[in-house]
Amino acid sequence: MSDPSSPEPPGTPSKYVDFWLYATAAGSYIPLAIYNKWLLDWIVGPFWLVAWVWGLPALVKLVRRQPIKPRRGPDRDPR
Amino acid sequence: MSWAAHQFEVYAVEAHLPKKMKGQISWFAIFFGDFTPDFLAKFWVYGFNYNGTHYGASKPYQWHRGWPGMGISHTLFFGAMCCLGIWAWKHNRAWTIGFLLGFAAHVLTDVNDSIGTMLLFPFSTLNWSLHTWAYAATIKGGKYLDAAAYFSSLGAVMDLFWFFVVVIGSWRVLTKEFWRTNIVAADPHVWSWLGQWLDDRGLLALYRGVFFYGVCRMIAWTTWAHLVARPIINGVRHNGYPWDLSWTGPWWVQRVTLPQVTPWVVLPMALILLGVVYFVANALWERMESGSIKEIAWRNVRRKTT
Repeated sequence: MSDPSSPEPPGTPSKYVDFWLYATAAGSYIPLAIYNKWLLDWIVGPFWLVAWVWGLPALVKLVRRQPIKPRRGPDRDPR
Repeated sequence: MSWAAHQFEVYAVEAHLPKKMKGQISWFAIFFGDFTPDFLAKFWVYGFNYNGTHYGASKPYQWHRGWPGMGISHTLFFGAMCCLGIWAWKHNRAWTIGFLLGFAAHVLTDVNDSIGTMLLFPFSTLNWSLHTWAYAATIKGGKYLDAAAYFSSLGAVMDLFWFFVVVIGSWRVLTKEFWRTNIVAADPHVWSWLGQWLDDRGLLALYRGVFFYGVCRMIAWTTWAHLVARPIINGVRHNGYPWDLSWTGPWWVQRVTLPQVTPWVVLPMALILLGVVYFVANALWERMESGSIKEIAWRNVRRKTT
């Protein structure tokens, strides 16, 4: 996990990207789920969010031939 | 039964932990505690159809909340037994207490529907219900009618209440900062393990995923019930299921009941039991420290070095 001593200030581009990702995740999931009720499931719902919020940027990285796997420092303890 | 309320209350419990437990209770344990009662009982409530035959409970409400039946899965007694099992297995107070709080939240929230839960099981098999909205799981109606009834009644208000409890009263619980300092700190090994595949953005989405699902299911089912569905009620076709925000609504579902105590004593008892659960959790928290895996490991280290 990234360095906790350097939190991102509000209003940075990454915040907007995150907001956009969450909003589009909801905007895609809800209309589809209204007509496909099997999507309204406690596994599919959270998985949808992770797939959208993490998966889309990962896909972009893949296209750009950048590494997808998280790079951690020598200390793997997230604390 | 409650729907999105069970997703929101996971975050509400996390946000309102006693001070000494902040950053130390496993969020996953709260989630699994809240999730376990319905995980054990609900599949057979709706059942499934195969080759034109319905497989499932003949009386869904009896199976879900009654005795005999899986009503035991919605009792504090069963939650306490699960906690004993977790403690005996792992000696981990972060998981044991977290599970207890999540489980208790589920059981106490479910007293709101017209079937309620057996709060004092095994001393009494009577159900405790506030009758705030109608229990509507039936063989014929299945999940759809159940959802339509819930999201047309005070159940929808209950979901909104819990939603606002989280986003207004406890919004910090959804922030990255809170996740990093409280959630990850309480469960470093699980998050570290997940971190092999997901970066921070993915891990945070996983943590927020249950809340996301709660919000989305609330909007999706409500939209479907009132804008998409075309039900026939008492021979009349409706454009959407009718709203009924009266006590024990909606009027258009069949009333079912189990032997119950008078509703007037239910709220005081639920509040007393909530207090008892927090008191017990508080009292056990300190005592469990000496028996926790961490403490035993430290004792062994000290013994070896002296």
